[in-house]
Amino acid sequence: MLGTFAAGGFHDPRIVGRFDCFAGTSKERTARRYGVVGVNLLARRA
Amino acid sequence: MTLYCPVDLDVRTLRREIEAVYSRVATSPSEDFHFHRGPDYAASRLGYDAAELAALPPEVTASFAGVGNPHAIADLPEGTTVVDIGCGAGTDLLLAARRVGPAGRAIGIDMTEAMLTRAAAGAHLAGLTNVEVHEGDATRLPLADASVDVVISNGVLNLVPDKPSAVAEMARVLKPGGRVQLADILIAETLPDDALRDIDLWTG
Repeated sequence: MLGTFAAGGFHDPRIVGRFDCFAGTSKERTARRYGVVGVNLLARRA
Repeated sequence: MTLYCPVDLDVRTLRREIEAVYSRVATSPSEDFHFHRGPDYAASRLGYDAAELAALPPEVTASFAGVGNPHAIADLPEGTTVVDIGCGAGTDLLLAARRVGPAGRAIGIDMTEAMLTRAAAGAHLAGLTNVEVHEGDATRLPLADASVDVVISNGVLNLVPDKPSAVAEMARVLKPGGRVQLADILIAETLPDDALRDIDLWTG
């Protein structure tokens, strides 16, 4: 995701927060298997 | 929507399924889904302010299905123009409208008619006159070049097969120096092709 933003005209894209958004859902096991987490991303247009 | 995907996913089927799932989230949020919804989830797991959410119409917050919290990334200054890509029923959109104030604009874009209807009704119920909603998708935003100060989005980019086009659209509509405050899901592992083709995983 960060690479897509960097290649798309954004300066210094970065992850600024993480969330365990699938905990307690029927997809929790799949999320843990593949390391799926919710994130906050900040990027500034160049 | 440009039809592009790294695997031979049936993107037309994906789009129909996304619209069906999120229409149900808009109209029947208490049904069984494989992702969380609602204001309690937003406050307890994503750090939203419970009092701010309680001040919004419950018809709006009940259908919240984000995966992070764009409002926790940076303040939205008064008087600015914010676009929420994939605004859904409008929780993040209406919070943005409150933050930018009457001199600002909060523009919601969504491809699901039921969500747009709910977001517009919610803005009316909340007495917010600086909200507008438009049908559109992330790869073709109905906005002028360099017309937006901040792009927000929550749990939407992962649903878009052509992510480079969606990011290019964000860059196009942002003013120079404008920013993206985006929440989405990140996958640590490289997914096998069968997982990439699984519509059920995409729509979650």
